[in-house]
Amino acid sequence: MSLHALFMALAHSPLGHAMQASKWDFALVEMVHLLALAILGGSVLIVDLRLLGVILKGESAFLIGRDLSRMLLGSLAVMVVSGIALLSEEAGKCYYSPAFRWKIALLAAAVTFYFTLHRRALLHTGADAPNLWSRIAAIISLTLWLGVGVAGRAIGLL
Amino acid sequence: MPLLQHICQIFYDSHFGTMIRESNNVFPIIETIHVLSITLLFGTIAVLDLRMLGLLLRPISVARVARNVLPLTWSGFAVSFVSGFLLFWAEAAKNYPNPAFRAKMLLLLLAGLNPLIFHTGVYRRVTEWETLRLSPWRARAAAIASLLLWSGVIVAGRAIAYF
Repeated sequence: MSLHALFMALAHSPLGHAMQASKWDFALVEMVHLLALAILGGSVLIVDLRLLGVILKGESAFLIGRDLSRMLLGSLAVMVVSGIALLSEEAGKCYYSPAFRWKIALLAAAVTFYFTLHRRALLHTGADAPNLWSRIAAIISLTLWLGVGVAGRAIGLL
Repeated sequence: MPLLQHICQIFYDSHFGTMIRESNNVFPIIETIHVLSITLLFGTIAVLDLRMLGLLLRPISVARVARNVLPLTWSGFAVSFVSGFLLFWAEAAKNYPNPAFRAKMLLLLLAGLNPLIFHTGVYRRVTEWETLRLSPWRARAAAIASLLLWSGVIVAGRAIAYF
């Protein structure tokens, strides 16, 4: 099945129909999406500010990263599920939306980076002061996640 | 006309308010800044709340988490307050009768009252309990209230557009 067919199938699924039919179903899922966004944003920021050496300098970056990863991954899961529901409302339009394509590309990049080089930076930094690599990792991470958010906001505007 | 409604109408009719409302880009840009700063506010206060509930960062003392996190929370609050006020300026007359807007203002007041009670109460003796993995019940109650009230503010805020 092509990607376009998959998007159309989503738009015509019972989920898609429910989201298209009811204003409040859509609003409710949007609220959940937004709440999870706030939690995700906060956890990304705290970890990356530690890698940058702005906050919690004396504490282990690894411990902070590990503890906040539960917050981050939990909210990410909620965002993906609620995001699919939001997508089903106008999947046909999103398929062609440049903002949506950017968002998904940036999301893939952010998640890949998080599980690979970012994780390594956390492990490597441990309880030490920030170094050049931890700072670069933090800046890349913040830029990617911010990009996901801004592109996401743009879907409704462009 | 009630006084508050009158004030809202003055904001709405002002040159500046009309400019924000009628521009193509200014309103959505302010809105984006508002959402991002709320993320900063809620996401960082949630870390402190979850620490007091004993769910994360247990080896780090509550006071230390608070000292590091609260400046971020306050920055988020400052930016979301200013950006929110600009959005209100543009839409004031429409916001006034909006039930979601009224609910948001009420929840905002309660969300602001909560840290006032917390900081003048149980947090004054934080040195006695800051290293406990699970904070005393008064602190846990404040944490739960904070999570619920700020969630309510976000939900009500999103609902404004639907009325």
